[in-house]
Amino acid sequence: MAAIRDSALTRAFDNDWIGPGLVSLIAVVAISMAQPAFLSSFNIFVLMSAISVNMVIALGQLVIIGLGQMNLALGSIGGLVAISFVGVIERYGVPVPLALAFALGIGIAAGMSSGYIIARTMISAFIITLAGLQIFKGINLGITEAQPFYGVPEAVKTFGQASVIGPLPWLMVPMMICAFAMWYVFNRMRIGRHILAMGSNPHAAELSGIDPKATIIWAHAISGLLAAIAGLMLVARLQIGQPTIGDDWLISSFAAPVIGGAVLTGGRVSVAGTFFGVVIIAIITQGLVMFNIDPFVVQIVLGALILWAVAVNRLREVRIARVQARGAGA
Amino acid sequence: MTALQVSHVSKSFPGVRALHDVSMTMTAGSVHALLGENGAGKSTLIKIVTGIYKPDSGTVSMNGATVRFANPRQAAAGGLGVVHQERNLVTRFSVGENILLDRLGNRALSLVDYASLHREAEKWLKLLDLDVDPRTIVSRLSVAQMQLVEIGKALSLQSRVLLLDEPTASLTPNESTVLFRILRRLRDDGVAIGFVSHKLEEVFDICDRVTVLRDGRNACDSADLSQLDRGDVVQMMIGRAERITTRAPRPRTDAAPYLELRGYGSGAGHRDINLTVRPGEIVGLYGLVGAGRSELARAILGLSKQIAGEVRVLGRAVRITSVAQALHDHGIGYVSEDRKAEGLILMHSVLANGGITIWRKLANALGLLRDTTIAARVGPVLKRLELKTPSVHQIIGNLSGGNQQKVSVAKWLAAGVRLLIIDEPSVGIDIKTKAYLHDLIHELAEQGTAILLITSDMPEMIDVADRILVMDSYRIKGEVENDRSYDPVSRAIMGLIHERAAA
Amino acid sequence: MAHAGADRPIPPGSAPRRMSSGMRLLLGNEFGLAVLILLTAATFALTLDGFTSPFSVYTIGRQIGIDTMIGLAMMAVIVTGGLDLSVGAIGVCSAMLFGWLMQVMGVPVLVAVPLAVLFGASLGFVNGFTVVMSGVHSFIITLASMSIFFGVMIFLTKAAAFNGLPPQVQAFGKMRVLPGISPLLLITVAVCAALVVFYRYSTLGRQMLAAGANARAAELSGIRTGRVIVACHMLTGLLAAIAGLMVTARTGAAVPSMAGQLGQDWLLPAFLAPVLGGTLLSGGRVSVIGTLLGATFINIMTSGLLLMRVGEFWILAFLGMMLLIAVLADRTRQIFLTSRGMI
Repeated sequence: MAAIRDSALTRAFDNDWIGPGLVSLIAVVAISMAQPAFLSSFNIFVLMSAISVNMVIALGQLVIIGLGQMNLALGSIGGLVAISFVGVIERYGVPVPLALAFALGIGIAAGMSSGYIIARTMISAFIITLAGLQIFKGINLGITEAQPFYGVPEAVKTFGQASVIGPLPWLMVPMMICAFAMWYVFNRMRIGRHILAMGSNPHAAELSGIDPKATIIWAHAISGLLAAIAGLMLVARLQIGQPTIGDDWLISSFAAPVIGGAVLTGGRVSVAGTFFGVVIIAIITQGLVMFNIDPFVVQIVLGALILWAVAVNRLREVRIARVQARGAGA
Repeated sequence: MTALQVSHVSKSFPGVRALHDVSMTMTAGSVHALLGENGAGKSTLIKIVTGIYKPDSGTVSMNGATVRFANPRQAAAGGLGVVHQERNLVTRFSVGENILLDRLGNRALSLVDYASLHREAEKWLKLLDLDVDPRTIVSRLSVAQMQLVEIGKALSLQSRVLLLDEPTASLTPNESTVLFRILRRLRDDGVAIGFVSHKLEEVFDICDRVTVLRDGRNACDSADLSQLDRGDVVQMMIGRAERITTRAPRPRTDAAPYLELRGYGSGAGHRDINLTVRPGEIVGLYGLVGAGRSELARAILGLSKQIAGEVRVLGRAVRITSVAQALHDHGIGYVSEDRKAEGLILMHSVLANGGITIWRKLANALGLLRDTTIAARVGPVLKRLELKTPSVHQIIGNLSGGNQQKVSVAKWLAAGVRLLIIDEPSVGIDIKTKAYLHDLIHELAEQGTAILLITSDMPEMIDVADRILVMDSYRIKGEVENDRSYDPVSRAIMGLIHERAAA
Repeated sequence: MAHAGADRPIPPGSAPRRMSSGMRLLLGNEFGLAVLILLTAATFALTLDGFTSPFSVYTIGRQIGIDTMIGLAMMAVIVTGGLDLSVGAIGVCSAMLFGWLMQVMGVPVLVAVPLAVLFGASLGFVNGFTVVMSGVHSFIITLASMSIFFGVMIFLTKAAAFNGLPPQVQAFGKMRVLPGISPLLLITVAVCAALVVFYRYSTLGRQMLAAGANARAAELSGIRTGRVIVACHMLTGLLAAIAGLMVTARTGAAVPSMAGQLGQDWLLPAFLAPVLGGTLLSGGRVSVIGTLLGATFINIMTSGLLLMRVGEFWILAFLGMMLLIAVLADRTRQIFLTSRGMI
């Protein structure tokens, strides 16, 4: 039997982020040529703030996609966390660090509870997280009666508006921490490898001694934590505790990972690809605004992007399968 | 030293007694063959040993202590490694990571130390003579290499008992030789190896002891293989020295072919297939697992693209692109080998399954049809097949394997097909129903139906088919006229298959 | 993306038993729901003032009609083991087309209705065709299409409602056929009857169930599974359009926000009613009557809770709990029945 070694080149081609990365680059160049204001420092600041929040949201969905499931409750967890954070500060005068811990705890607990029910009953994640979506949203509205909390502490407000250097917002810091952490989880940590193993071949994973229940609960807990972080980042960015936070996360949370090459049946995710997915969506959204195009067109473009990405991923899978079949035959 | 002992195990499923008082003793440093025809109970026994099923009675013990594994995970932890027929690897992960997948770290958030992981994996790969970098992604390996990785994975769990389920089914003869060399070395190191195979040559080549199951009972329990010859083993498997067929060879028909393939090639990989089936004729298609027989049946039904040659039905060149077209335009039906996954709709009733092929035909102008209309057509067929069911509205998943199989044949009879392709008709059904199905196939042929029979069960093939086409690597290797004498015919068939190895 | 019960093992060792039809009825979802409905309705009627007032009965009935229709729309695609996130978007798009046809184009009501319904079916066709052609799960396809359908609709209508509909439309929505019964409820009952016949007696309906229960087996039995799945999505689109028109009649105007952002507000009733009614999420089994009963139960509970002055926001959370309880109860029932060898 011949020795097989993967060359660096094959590995590079196998990467998920090169395609979306190139697309982002071209989009930036093209739009800035047509509209130089695109690269103004104000615009970059706005763009980077949006990218930061959306990246954390997308990562929250990416964990679950890696497992081959989906989390419809992502946005409602983020919303509940956001209003709880501002709520306990405004109503009970809780100090910010304590409120922060409390809010993140809610996110983890919410994720863990869906994860526990899914792992325990093996009912589809879709229906459990749909119920979760409704429950968390209902609690959110029940508490706020659809009115925002305004008592966001100054420190948090500043954090959402200040820049680290030049046009780069502070919000990028938590985003980058989350992204690096998730890259680490998927590539270097036992839990991440187990999530991906479960996603690619649940049967093999279980026979290999991976505990499926624990893995599912962990994945949903991480997803809940990321949703919570994104919710808090939005509080900082919007400067109020809006009950509507999270309402519009659903589509983009799937769009970015899918554009980044994630396969929805699980086992294949790319943090870098997801980042460029987020960038592409942000650039297009921003571009439409700059060219005074109806912002609702964003919805259409998002939908079309998902379909396009799904088609590309599908073609790639088919091609890989064909190459492998040929390799096995030779 | 006894490594694994199965004592007096019995197991029943609804309507079927799968195992009856079965025993087996595997000793360390020996290769133990587990033999039996399809449906004899081998896979049930393996599932009991590995904790997938619980025995109704009897015990399993390892190294003298009784064990009750709740699932295969526990079995693996207890030192019982199994390499299943289907591959159980995470193909996007590296070889090393697959081998040590359950030992990536002590805690969920532990970091994976890839350097030491791959070093550790390298040890097992060396032991198996597998010259593969442990960092290689599994999807880039050949099937044989993947199999060795799975063996490495089982061994890395310190398994002292290793069960291999049909390990050579998808290997080339060369690859099998390599595998055997490794198995011998493991045996010499004191591992107890269980070996399930259909290929008797291999069994005699590598095994020391043998347990044969027939109809869920021990035909022999851990006998010394050196005291037996091939004939003895075959006798134990099929229950008599030479298969005495009750059927005389049928006169050859010279009716115009119903289906004819000429130089046919398919998208599934078939090349140069020439095949004719005449009305009233039973053509057998024999080959080992992976030879491309079921795939040919599916290609004929239009599930793979036709890329070369021609297909003729009743002399007319046709191009079949869907099962619906095969059924409604050309009268071709297909009894699938995988009854549960693609033969039947288990959650629906007997009537819904039996009538599914004729709904279109029976509907009135509004596209409506009633149960009574369907029952009027399907009922007589079910009656003729002596189906045992409380009512036609019974959910079919509750019937025994034999009765399920009758329904999956019945739906085609109800549709009045002219060519019936039957794939492994007797998997998982009892002996009586099996004999009954063989009679039925003959009866259908007598009435003018063309039959293409696919089976890996040699006695069944020789008992039922008129002539036998031998298939290997998606090509037809030759044809054997069946005069129902077991030894010459089976030798001729095996000869055709092994031509490749000799060449 | 596995769904509930996709590969529920039938434990070997449990001998099949005959179950009398009476037993089957008692253990069925429909019977349990009917009992629950009677009990809750009776409790509310005795304890809550105004629960049985003609107005209350009328509005509950009308809302049952609408929720059932939304549930049936989703049920028609759950049959295949898939789902359609775009039901709300299709419903709103069809309603907006309905409004535009009458208000802008001056098309008479009786022509606009079938056009709008056909339009819904054609949007369903787009979903089904894409799902079958791509081989990708309907979740992601309909996630994309819900965004596209809704986006195009908002873009074309500039998010403005059609308020100047012919007076018959609103009159229909406020009409009382018998004292306390809305024609919208009657439409739903008629559609339910038609669907019962469809799934029981029509070739296509049976093919849908077969393809949903086991697509490979159905394909190998000569059913053109692809076409059948497209047909399921078209039926979903058609029923979603009817639901959209019913909401339009109730409000008297075609409003882009009638199903919330992207039509997401319909998702809960769409899944809740069929799941409560015993439709399997893994496909292959439907219960039309169960869906009707499911929607009935939800609306009785909701109205009762509103009368008890539970805030309407908390009712959202309550409905989410209901969905959770419904699937958990269903799972428990299945495990119980399987262990007894009854299914």
